Amino acid sequence: MYARVATCWTILRISLEERLVYRGDFALGTLMRFLPIVTQMFLWMAVFDGAFGAGRGPGQQIAGYTCHSIIAYYLLTTVSRAFSSMPGLSSGIARDIRDGTVKKYLIQPIDMLTFLMLNRVAHKLVYYVVAIGPFALVFYLCRDFFPEHPGGLYPGWPDAATLAAYFASLLMAFLLGFLLEATLGMIGFWFLEVSSLLFVYMLFSFFFSGHMFPIDLLPGIWGELVRLIPLQYLAYFPAAVFLGKVTGPELTHGLLIQFGWVVFFLVAARTAFRRGVRRYSGFGG
Amino acid sequence: MHTRPHYFRVLLTFLRNSLVRDMTFRANFLIDTISSMSWVFMNLGFYILVFRYTPTIGANTGWGKHEFFLFLATTLLINGVIRGLFLSNAIEFSEQIRTGTLDFALLKPIDTQFLVSLGRIEWSAIGPFACGVLLLVYSLFQVHYLPGPLQMVLYGFYLLCGVAIYYSLMIAMAATSVWLGRNKTLLDFWFYITNFSRYPMEIYTGTYGDPIRWVFTFLVPVLIAVNVPARLLVRPLSPQSREDWLLLPFAVAATLGSLIVSRWVFNRSLLSYRSASS
Amino acid sequence: MATIEIERLAKSYHVYQKSEGLAASIRGLFRRQYREVQAVRGIDLQLEQGEFVAFLGPNGAGKTTTLKLLSGVIAPTSGTARVMGFVPWHRDNAYRRRFALVMGQKNQLWWDLPAQESFRLHQQIYRIEPDRFDRTRDELTGMLQVRQLLSQPVRELSLGERMKMELIAALLHSPEVLFLDEPTIGLDVIAQHNIQNFLRDYQQRRRVTILLTSHYMKDVVALCRRVVIIAWGRIIYDGSLEGIIDRYGGHKVVSFQLADGQIPSDLGRYGEMLPEKPPRAKLRVERSVVTDVLGRILANHAIKDVSVEDPPLEQVIAEMFNQADDLPKDKLAEVPELLSEE
Repeated sequence: MYARVATCWTILRISLEERLVYRGDFALGTLMRFLPIVTQMFLWMAVFDGAFGAGRGPGQQIAGYTCHSIIAYYLLTTVSRAFSSMPGLSSGIARDIRDGTVKKYLIQPIDMLTFLMLNRVAHKLVYYVVAIGPFALVFYLCRDFFPEHPGGLYPGWPDAATLAAYFASLLMAFLLGFLLEATLGMIGFWFLEVSSLLFVYMLFSFFFSGHMFPIDLLPGIWGELVRLIPLQYLAYFPAAVFLGKVTGPELTHGLLIQFGWVVFFLVAARTAFRRGVRRYSGFGG
Repeated sequence: MHTRPHYFRVLLTFLRNSLVRDMTFRANFLIDTISSMSWVFMNLGFYILVFRYTPTIGANTGWGKHEFFLFLATTLLINGVIRGLFLSNAIEFSEQIRTGTLDFALLKPIDTQFLVSLGRIEWSAIGPFACGVLLLVYSLFQVHYLPGPLQMVLYGFYLLCGVAIYYSLMIAMAATSVWLGRNKTLLDFWFYITNFSRYPMEIYTGTYGDPIRWVFTFLVPVLIAVNVPARLLVRPLSPQSREDWLLLPFAVAATLGSLIVSRWVFNRSLLSYRSASS
Repeated sequence: MATIEIERLAKSYHVYQKSEGLAASIRGLFRRQYREVQAVRGIDLQLEQGEFVAFLGPNGAGKTTTLKLLSGVIAPTSGTARVMGFVPWHRDNAYRRRFALVMGQKNQLWWDLPAQESFRLHQQIYRIEPDRFDRTRDELTGMLQVRQLLSQPVRELSLGERMKMELIAALLHSPEVLFLDEPTIGLDVIAQHNIQNFLRDYQQRRRVTILLTSHYMKDVVALCRRVVIIAWGRIIYDGSLEGIIDRYGGHKVVSFQLADGQIPSDLGRYGEMLPEKPPRAKLRVERSVVTDVLGRILANHAIKDVSVEDPPLEQVIAEMFNQADDLPKDKLAEVPELLSEE
């Protein structure tokens, strides 16, 4: 047990060092991440202006969002995405499979999923350390966009129980994002060329996770379809929880379904890896 | 004996060789085209969604649904050219600078920036470009207004200006990988900056909006790139302020300025190039 | 005026010093430490038109850096160089039309296309007249025997075939000066031999000036009469191949066979015994005492056959590099070319 923890710690530490070397990437990447949100903010302000004239009262709503709360929504999706997005994970796995690096997980006594997970945790931790400054600044500047909650801890903050649910959903968003992308990457065991597939996934994820727009804007059948797939738990769901759009039994229900998807993709990733390896060694690598 | 290469013929050879390569990997080419077109359709879907909730973007800006689609078509045309001609070259260039494989480009008796910028052409960008053309034509019929010949010529000219501005920004950013080292974020960076020009510039108003509009008009003129040609096409007859008319000469100046600055950055980066061995 | 004239040419780099450990990595985010690395420390060299010169030296000695300086790929920190009257790093089109650089470790042909498409591109870039282009291409493909491979994608060619195509691409515009950086690296013996033969024939036909770096002494022996040796960024030898032995071969090899076919056990007192098939024996003898040793052997034994030879060239140069390696022990780590081999 101790040795296992020590191994994990070493992997984590090495990954941290690796991440810190590329400071140029880092500084730029963190700063830039908010730029699309700025554009989105102005777009929605313009949309509300177009729809209701210059006034921005609480009664002027689009699909249950006021001009302010939709901006708050976009800001919150950046937090969700900071947990759930896994840049380079699937393509990295697919590449490792293609060029044979994956063999090292078969030879060395480390589990690939654990290794990648630790690597990703390190990646994320470093990112949070660097990003918490810009995040705090942006959220502070934009604090007025966050709607009042009855019984909120602080103006703009929900109550303690909702906040706890929010953090739970964020954590699960991380796990779900990781496992979903890991599973996708393992398709590389069966098909050599997966980059187009990943692109299509990214596209879908961008639009239907709620990153591009709140998915409750989608009318009729579209809205119902999008709610059936797990993508909404990567961005929309945590943000909606924070904004108090999901409450009571609906919230419990949502968290349970999110957890269900995490378990589903854990099993899927494990199964895909086991089958993939079997197929891989069947071919002699 | 000519000491200058025939640039146009070299370009034709690039086009031809790239086409030969794309046709060797036909399946890939097809998937590329389809996936980049699905990006276009998803975006279009989003804007249709937005226009379910509002008649215009911004109050009294004139950007109704089909006017905005003309704007979108303009974006698609410019981006199509950029993606087809320059994007993968800029990424490749930044990679070559970093890994020290730029050597061969530097040896050739031809302008290095030309060679580096156009070496490989992505024919699959024709897909989104064609979408842009179709959307342009469709929306022109919807707005019940046909632009005159002068307008069309000016539109074409300012499209080219837009391409030049985008290109300058991109190649200058790629060149900075000489100093920044591993520049994997080049693509992100590029998307983030050009993201500002996805919507009409009128949306940037107010305490925060005005400075943004100012910065991306005068300092990094990406707003000029799409807005000027799109406006020329969409709102030619509505009363325009003097400021609007000033945008036309300014766009030309901004284009020239961008090209000069990017050329300078490019040449500076070559001076710092170290050609690490593999 | 010499074709290539180099004076006090020097190139140094700033290298980011990566430090170990997590804490140091975090510090590296804010403050970076750089070191100055001198890849070339002031070299002087002249090449006449039509010379075929080998440029030798241990890894990271500055050979490739010098070739890159002469090709104008990088600019020097100080010093001057002129090739056919041009300053290379000004990168005049007129200059770039008249030389070529071939690197065994980097390729310039389009990977997914047949070589002839890349050749066509070269034709356009160098603006070679169509009939001259056809003539040169046919001559080169004939000499290298790759005509039938022209329409095959480069990625499907063997390493040796690919190298031949790279050579053709570099020679299509009939350069007057040719820089070859490890052109035979990684090739099998036959392919190496083919390339050597081609280079020799081509040089004799066209009388071009060639500067070649190689790790294979066979390349050098087969092709070059003049050898320049560089170590730690400085030229330490410039002269004929044979001259190296005179100057650095501190010993000779005496081999002999005794009349009775025996090998006496006390041979060690004459010099170091070298492995040899009996009944012959081989001794490594200090150059200054060769006559003395010979005399003593002749006096003490009945000799059937004796010969005195120079040690093999490769061995002399290897020893010389080893001496050079001994000089500043940690310098090897300072050369960026090595640092980048992570």
